[in-house]
Amino acid sequence: MTDLAPERCITCSDEAVEAEVVAVDGLEAIVLVDGMHERIAVDLVPEAAPGDVLLCHAGIALERVDTQPGRPAEAGHRASAS
Amino acid sequence: MKYVDEYRSAELARGLASEIAGLVQPGETWRVMEVCGGHTHAIYRHGLEDLLPSEVELVHGPGCPVCVIPMGRVDDAISLAEEPGITLATFGDMMRVPGGRGSLLEAKARGADVRMVYSPLDALALAAKLPDRRVIFFAIGFETTAPATAVTLLRARAQATPNFAVFCNHVTIEPPLRAILETPGLRVDAFIGPGHVSTVIGTDAYRFIPKEYGRPVAVSAFEPVDLLQSIALLLRQRAEGRCEVENQYTRVVRREGNARALAAIDETMELRDEFEWRGLGTIPRSAMRLRAAFAEWDAEQLYTIPGVRIEDPKACRCGEVLTGQIKPWECGVFGTACTPERPLGTCMVSSEGACAAFYAYGRLRRPTEEPVGA
Repeated sequence: MTDLAPERCITCSDEAVEAEVVAVDGLEAIVLVDGMHERIAVDLVPEAAPGDVLLCHAGIALERVDTQPGRPAEAGHRASAS
Repeated sequence: MKYVDEYRSAELARGLASEIAGLVQPGETWRVMEVCGGHTHAIYRHGLEDLLPSEVELVHGPGCPVCVIPMGRVDDAISLAEEPGITLATFGDMMRVPGGRGSLLEAKARGADVRMVYSPLDALALAAKLPDRRVIFFAIGFETTAPATAVTLLRARAQATPNFAVFCNHVTIEPPLRAILETPGLRVDAFIGPGHVSTVIGTDAYRFIPKEYGRPVAVSAFEPVDLLQSIALLLRQRAEGRCEVENQYTRVVRREGNARALAAIDETMELRDEFEWRGLGTIPRSAMRLRAAFAEWDAEQLYTIPGVRIEDPKACRCGEVLTGQIKPWECGVFGTACTPERPLGTCMVSSEGACAAFYAYGRLRRPTEEPVGA
């Protein structure tokens, strides 16, 4: 419990990581996180399919990630205003 | 890490730092609050403060989900854990947060059945494995984490799991932001909006900040280039005479958020009349409780919760750290009586806490004339 420099949030060991879907079985998906397979719930992103990248937090997928958003330097120009 | 490497590019970071330097007015102090604890952690971890001109001051906000839980709620959770037949499950950090009677980890050492889980779904699975016990998930967190609890409750109902319950302490982001914005003498000029909370609630949720309080917002992702870009967006708004909510995290965050996540929260939870926040006091309609339809999975309906209220230790200045009034090193017990190994205040517990992040990454870089803990 003394890891002072964790890569992930130690609140949930899962700082909303971006993970690629390997397989989907109903409302469960197998995702690849740092080379490891993990099972997550896709109740909130039921359209998830193999190859998608999902934002995952506390065992569930919150959203699909757009993996083609352009170079970061351009992203500022693409920032959307509310 | 795949998909994020370009957001850690030193070349892009230097370019953005240069742009930021060109957008500030020499001699001014422009204060930007990063609301989210994940941002605080990233800022210290990547040393972003060193890249910024002295005119830009980063102020750490209240967005660490562990840090805002008052000591009394920890004691309430300990009381639940000490009930016969109860297994209390929660995230790792919550086990270390000190309450008035020690932490959940210490309660576990005394014999209470306290388990660490990564997800509320793990707690639900634990209930299936322990049919003779009731597994209670001690739920904390903002709108990022509430959907996981909501999905778990919906599954518990669908599976008719009788021995699972939730002690709900989920909080919402708008009320503490309003509380900060209404602080007399507020010295925050702009906000870096939380990325993952916004995935759920959408960027439109922050429109009240420019509209009612005249401060711009840039919702940001978590990599160094993301954060620098968000600061540049905020400064560009000022240079162009705009004040609005902008979304830097366009690869994930939508204006409207995730409708399914919001619906799951709404189906299972409702706003409480009030909730006590560490450092911010009691804020009306700022936290969630389970709806009556989920009473059979609601620990607050199934058990008597003491509702303990405990003053923070006098030496602890977490409240002022959480509201951006002081920096971590300005607290008298930082790094001495309060360390990540033996935290006195919540800001030192979670890696997202400003004090823990500064302790891990920043303290050794401060000049010797300002010694840590002085």
